[in-house]
Amino acid sequence: MIRFDNLSKRYEGGFEALRNVSFEMEAGEMAFLTGHSGAGKSTLLKLLMLIERPTSGNLLINGKNLNRLPHAKVPFYRRQVGVVFQNHQLLFDRSVFENVALPLQVAGYSRADIGRRVRAALDSVGLLDREQQNPIALSGGEQQRVGVARAVVHKPKILLADEPTGNLDPQLSAEIMALFKRFQDVGVTVLVATHDIDLINRMNMRIMRLNQGQMEQDGVNYGGY
Amino acid sequence: MAATNSNSRDSVQRGARGKVLSRGDRWRSYRYHHRATLKTSAGKMLREPLQSLLTILVIAIALTLPAALYLGVENISQLSSGVDSSAQISVFVKKGARDAAVKNIGEQLEGLSGVASVRYISAQSALEEFKALSGFGSALQYLDNNPLPDAFVVQPLLFSDAPKLVAEIREIALIDDVQLDMAWLQRLDTLLDIGRKLVLALGAALGLGVILVVGNTIRLAIQSRRDEITVVKLVGGTDAYVRRPFLYTGLLYGLFGALVAAILLTSLGFWLDGPVDKLAGLYQSQYSISGLGFGGFVMLLLIGGSVGLIGAWLAVGQHLRNIKPS
Repeated sequence: MIRFDNLSKRYEGGFEALRNVSFEMEAGEMAFLTGHSGAGKSTLLKLLMLIERPTSGNLLINGKNLNRLPHAKVPFYRRQVGVVFQNHQLLFDRSVFENVALPLQVAGYSRADIGRRVRAALDSVGLLDREQQNPIALSGGEQQRVGVARAVVHKPKILLADEPTGNLDPQLSAEIMALFKRFQDVGVTVLVATHDIDLINRMNMRIMRLNQGQMEQDGVNYGGY
Repeated sequence: MAATNSNSRDSVQRGARGKVLSRGDRWRSYRYHHRATLKTSAGKMLREPLQSLLTILVIAIALTLPAALYLGVENISQLSSGVDSSAQISVFVKKGARDAAVKNIGEQLEGLSGVASVRYISAQSALEEFKALSGFGSALQYLDNNPLPDAFVVQPLLFSDAPKLVAEIREIALIDDVQLDMAWLQRLDTLLDIGRKLVLALGAALGLGVILVVGNTIRLAIQSRRDEITVVKLVGGTDAYVRRPFLYTGLLYGLFGALVAAILLTSLGFWLDGPVDKLAGLYQSQYSISGLGFGGFVMLLLIGGSVGLIGAWLAVGQHLRNIKPS
């Protein structure tokens, strides 16, 4: 599903955020991406969202090389990807429902479809009764769950999360992770960038560790720090 | 949350199999999206009524000025077109010319191109007409001989041909003098030409002004919706999708500006109507000013709308590119 092939990213100014990174993820696989801040986690996710383009190497999604994707096709690629942000990126000028509906509106779904899918997504994160509220009225954990609902409402094949539990207490973090696990169960490829070591050690899953832009470790049995 | 688990898993699974959007669905939702965007754009304008009103007023004034000048020029040119047809060239024959020569001149005049009609006024008939009309009848009886020359009145086909005809007639032998009675009309025509050019120049300058005003307003709108644009781009919104609400806003500003301009022009018309009627009455004329009319109103909306759209397009093209998700 996701294949990084000897991929490097050098920013303007010479900083090398990723160096010859290679890995592969199968469809329906879930993995954690970890490492110190500045190790390249965010850059790797940005490459997957096509916010940044690699300096060298190939990035293949479903066998297609993203390097050759023209600018005009980028929105259509992004519709296959769901993203959860650390700062959740919710819009406070509209209701929870409208926030979650955004990816569907953008893709041109009908009103009836949007209503059905948004409610299904909100139901899956346990916030169905909050759809008419403004997200600013919700707690941090609830806001993050709205962010998750928005990331999965259009049934993406790939779900990316950048520090999704950054501001949450351990119990809420565990709930969010359990949520991701459920999406993996139905076939979504899930990649979560986090430095919450305790949490991921408990989950017994594939862990990729970046260190100064290089893949330092990749496997299930993670020794920890 | 545990209580909803079984439900939610079901819904996720159902969706994961996916459903392809049909073309009809897409078209319907595209149209719905346009309507919704229009509604939100109008709503956003209403949410900042003072700011929107100021922008609309600036646009309205910028449209009213050239439009009022245009209407003024058109009204005056309409006034002059009524007199155009009465433009005449008076041709006076040298005194003492023989009848045969006068007849010959008449034939020559009729032979010129661009002449609609030639009327001969003999010295005798001119004197009688003068006697009858001037009131000097009894005094004129004491004259030994007729002081008036034979004359022709030439009616040109086109008013604009008159000066050329005058020059040609002057070349004919035994012609004493040629007078174009409506020389002032020509001057008026030239003035109207200047007026029309002024309308164009003023219109172009103020049109550019409107584009800049709308552009600036849209630039502010884009900045205040930066977060929204970022999110929309991240969830797969195309450039066209992001652009649309701002284009609608620009279009609405232009249309509302044109509407207010039409109201201003109509009020101006009513305001001037009384004095103009009075003036026309003094000249025993049926003339009254013609306003914008339906065609002019549609034209004004068209110009306002497109200028607003252009302003929005320029602002959007310049500023949206700078907003990238990070």
